Amino acid sequence: MAVATTPEDLSRLMSRIGAGDRGALRQLYDATSAKLFGVCLRILSDREESEDVLQEVYVTVWRRADRFDASRASVMTWVSTIARNRSIDRLRARGPMAYAEPVEEMDLPDDKAVGAEALLVAAGEEGRLHNCLSELDDRTENVIRTAFFEGVTYDALARRMDTPLGTVKSWVRRGLAKLKGCLEQ
Amino acid sequence: MSEAPELPEAEAFAAEHALGVLSAVERRSAETRMAADPAFAAQVEAWRERLGPMIDEVAAITPPTAVWTRIERELPANDNASEKVMRDLRFWKRATVGSLGLAAAAMVLTVLIANQPPLMVQAPPPGQLLNASLVSQTGQPQPLFVAAYDPVRKALIVTSLVTPGNDPGHVHELWVIPADGKPRPLGILEPGKTRSMPMPSTLLPSLVDGSALAVSLEPPGGSPKVDTPTGPITAVGKLAKI
Repeated sequence: MAVATTPEDLSRLMSRIGAGDRGALRQLYDATSAKLFGVCLRILSDREESEDVLQEVYVTVWRRADRFDASRASVMTWVSTIARNRSIDRLRARGPMAYAEPVEEMDLPDDKAVGAEALLVAAGEEGRLHNCLSELDDRTENVIRTAFFEGVTYDALARRMDTPLGTVKSWVRRGLAKLKGCLEQ
Repeated sequence: MSEAPELPEAEAFAAEHALGVLSAVERRSAETRMAADPAFAAQVEAWRERLGPMIDEVAAITPPTAVWTRIERELPANDNASEKVMRDLRFWKRATVGSLGLAAAAMVLTVLIANQPPLMVQAPPPGQLLNASLVSQTGQPQPLFVAAYDPVRKALIVTSLVTPGNDPGHVHELWVIPADGKPRPLGILEPGKTRSMPMPSTLLPSLVDGSALAVSLEPPGGSPKVDTPTGPITAVGKLAKI
């Protein structure tokens, strides 16, 4: 089966899912589940929990597809936000400090040649974010990336870096303000 | 890069929520605020779009095939369309208009319940953060009301996005319609205002994923009937996990 890939394809799938078309959900799953599973694993570092969360994500997509508004969000951001939010909630439920230590990078095989994908990405919209991130000082870039990819709180970041919470918070806030300024240029 | 101006407090909070750096309690308050404050919700969404491309760096990993099987098993029959809610509503409105049959049925039910052995009392689950957008049936996508249920405060926070002063002769009354299809009145909503409605423990079992919320147009003071809207239904929506 041809996998839907363009944003327009995905958007069309969403309206079919909203109307109750299970085949469309399957197509969305084929197109996006590997990426979302990667996102869950990155945050949770646990296969079993990530599978549970992934299941919840697509059931949520099924239920809420009628609320998707293509004028406000892209499908990929919308579904990956659900995946990140569910993973982060799961992570928070483990306890406030369960993730104060950096996780060991899991040894996971990649499906696709990431290099080629990264090259494609660098050419488009996404490339701008990467460029803007790399314009931040290393420490700020690192904190923002860690927060995004591992879903850790200010509290945990402060503990990891052995830095007062207020300081970490001002690094992040200043970094986000710079990022916005750079993206708007 | 030149020094950027600081983000205003609300936007900074929105950005932190999109980044995922907030604690469980702060996340909950951000979600509640999103449901009640469309401008804040738009800021969170804008930040999600800004940061979203970062996931391109995450390696794609194919999940085991069993995951899809589990998803398929869990799919409810399509309850996406709010048509079903409307159908249910019409059904019970018709059924209650001068229906002696219903009163008789209610009596039978009362007898049945009275004859049941006492139920085991179970501690209620902690509850989930839920939200709903209530839209009119005219096909306009903009919600007329937004609601969020905060399980910690046991309160439903509802914002009316209706312009005040358009219809001083009527009020908007909010109802919850749980799985049993029987509406429970929740209170009157003032146009353009946000209200935090504490929920009595008897209503908590109704505030679950999939329950419908509806707003009816009523005479001042609310529906003269305790458990039935009397006016037309202005908007409907479903509570869903955030």
